[in-house]
Amino acid sequence: MSAHLQTLVALAIVALALALLVRGALRKKKGHGHGCGCPTDEFKARLKR
Amino acid sequence: MSDDPITSAASTHSDRTISVGGGSLDVRTSSEIGGAEVPSRSVPARPPVYALVGNPNCGKSTLFNALTGLKQKVGNYPGVTVERKIGTAYSQHGQPIQIIDLPGAYSLAARSPDEAVTRDVLLGRRADTPQPDRIICIVDATNLERNLYLVHQVLDLGKPVVVVLNMMDLVVQAGLQIRLTRLQHALGIPVIPCEAVNGKGLIELKLALSRQELPLARHAWDVPAPIAPAVAELQASLHQNDGRPPLVARAEALLLLTDQDAVRVAGSAPLSARTTEILQAWKKRWEGEGVDWAGTLVNSRYEVIGRLCAEAVQPAAAIGPSPSDRIDAVVTHPVWGWVVLGVTMAALFLSIFTLAQYPMDWIDGRVTALADWLRDAMPPGDLRALLTDGVISGAGRVVEFLPQILILYFFIGLLEDTGYMARAAFIMDRVMSRVGLNGKSFIPLLSSYACAIPGIMATRTIEDRKDRLITILVAPLMSCSARLPVYLLMIAALFPTGSVPVLTKVGLMMGMYLLGTSAAFGFAWLFKRTLLKGETPVMIMELPPYRWPSLRSLALRMLERAGLFLRRAGTIILGISVVLWFLTAYPKAPAGTPPEQQIAHSFAGDVGRALEPVLRPLGFDWRIGIAIVSSFVAREVFVSATGVVFGVQTDSSGNLLPLRAALQRAVWPDGHALFTPLVCLNLMIYYVLAMQCLSTTAVVRRETNSWRWTLFQQFYLSATAWLVACAVYQIGRALGF
Repeated sequence: MSAHLQTLVALAIVALALALLVRGALRKKKGHGHGCGCPTDEFKARLKR
Repeated sequence: MSDDPITSAASTHSDRTISVGGGSLDVRTSSEIGGAEVPSRSVPARPPVYALVGNPNCGKSTLFNALTGLKQKVGNYPGVTVERKIGTAYSQHGQPIQIIDLPGAYSLAARSPDEAVTRDVLLGRRADTPQPDRIICIVDATNLERNLYLVHQVLDLGKPVVVVLNMMDLVVQAGLQIRLTRLQHALGIPVIPCEAVNGKGLIELKLALSRQELPLARHAWDVPAPIAPAVAELQASLHQNDGRPPLVARAEALLLLTDQDAVRVAGSAPLSARTTEILQAWKKRWEGEGVDWAGTLVNSRYEVIGRLCAEAVQPAAAIGPSPSDRIDAVVTHPVWGWVVLGVTMAALFLSIFTLAQYPMDWIDGRVTALADWLRDAMPPGDLRALLTDGVISGAGRVVEFLPQILILYFFIGLLEDTGYMARAAFIMDRVMSRVGLNGKSFIPLLSSYACAIPGIMATRTIEDRKDRLITILVAPLMSCSARLPVYLLMIAALFPTGSVPVLTKVGLMMGMYLLGTSAAFGFAWLFKRTLLKGETPVMIMELPPYRWPSLRSLALRMLERAGLFLRRAGTIILGISVVLWFLTAYPKAPAGTPPEQQIAHSFAGDVGRALEPVLRPLGFDWRIGIAIVSSFVAREVFVSATGVVFGVQTDSSGNLLPLRAALQRAVWPDGHALFTPLVCLNLMIYYVLAMQCLSTTAVVRRETNSWRWTLFQQFYLSATAWLVACAVYQIGRALGF
């Protein structure tokens, strides 16, 4: 594999990793109130009181 | 029973047939239950929904896991479950049964957020949870009298109930005898003996759960005469003005009179003005007459339960203190208790340094061999550099710490399952109460040694909002498992293999855990006297019986943690390592620059040098700065980041050096060593105190429902870490280290 091709593949992997990290950070965690342990809005309101 | 106006009031609705889940329920109450008649409720057409309720630490989640095949966290101490979990079990005939595992509660008069979840699900107040058709009441058979109080309240709901007598093995050990037939006859509902942890009694339980018809309880309880008219009036009002179903209205009326705080009982379903008016009028009248209405109700229930237990339980002959009592005399002793705790902690860390060394060396060898093989197999280029310097030196190095993480979790699981954790809580409470920490804070703080996230979620068991907030604020100071790789790496850099006795390393590691715990207590003391003033409540905690740990349960827990750790290494840590490699590899240095100098010309180098003025007073250079900034996402990223930043060094044969050796070779521009003992120690202290975990920050935001407290926590922990590390370095330098 030539050095040029290695650079292209490496940069593509870096771009993919960055995209996956950003997507993971932005993705809304699913499962609120469905047994995942996350409190529902109603529960959070009670905690606040 | 006919004189009981409450029961009579309820029975006026008994001719109604209400639809549940497409099927029908024949609503019948205790007043209709005669000796010859076998009252029952038919099962609805859809899979029946069972709620699993019981006192804390009576084995609910163990039974839930055994029935559903799920892996809900269990432990031999109260307060493990703080939210409800739903799972599906299958009857002996393959029919699905939905089961809701609820947090433990001693009573339906809920005092903490987790107990309120149980009450609200049972009363059908949770829109996100199906209202249970039937209820499984699991009781600790060794403490029948206390456990039956909740059962007694649950029977008020008028739903079919199956009672599970758990821990029957301990009943035998304790020399108790429970006359099952008498208990079953007295209650009039199925009573199934069980050992959930061993799976004994599950078949009988599944057969009972899959019965088409279940009898309603012979709930022969007369509400005390002075209280009965009030219950009837409140029940009627709750039904008419607040829209509660008749039997729920009765149960809620009883709760309103048991708990002094009506708002707390009403929870998310506020009372109508009329019901509040009736309640206030009755309370005012009783106050005038000197009637202790709540006490009367509670005592009345206990009288019934006492008679039931006298009939069904034959107490053990007096044979002196039990083995559990004899062990407790030592492990909860004011002096010996601390010795046992210290020895236990030392054994944990000794195992981490000795047992884990062999698998760690093996993984280290494989990781290094893989990097060397890639260097030989691929021509020089960016892809090879990415794989060796980014992926392997970064994420690969983190995997080396898997054995230590597993040993930590094995010990935590062992201490939880045996019941020792509750004794440790008892010992620690003496210190915690002096700093103003709630006794219930111990379990959340203890959980935070594994990970702050479940620890912060476990604070839901704390009733007082200020105490709960203090616990959340200090929980990240307890050294979590993500810090372990950082400590181990720094200790390895500080002491080359064989240079000091292993006990020195153990002592240093224990010192870090002690520093974190002391800091947590110190800040709790400070917050309790400044921002969040309040009284320190007395701790009341049940000491669970000692049990042999289940090896299967321990193995499953370790397997689960290994999966989580490897998933984290393969996702977030790998991703950050790849991106960090790019930042250290670009832009390229001018041709002819030695490879070690490349990073100085990179984007990461620019960022690191911009940070250096802030980090220099702590003894950290810009390369350590890069690792610290990268690990704001998660602490273990520090290891992968140092792998990327420092891990490019090779030996004279061109082979990649182990990370600890690479760190020992790192130098300042003037040639003196970068990772001096003082810097290694300071990095450990920094990581003890710093808030470097985005997931924890997100959970704190969620659990406090406040950005203000979340940001305050981030600020005070970061500032403390910087100030303490600065002070340690400057004093250390002044002393000649």
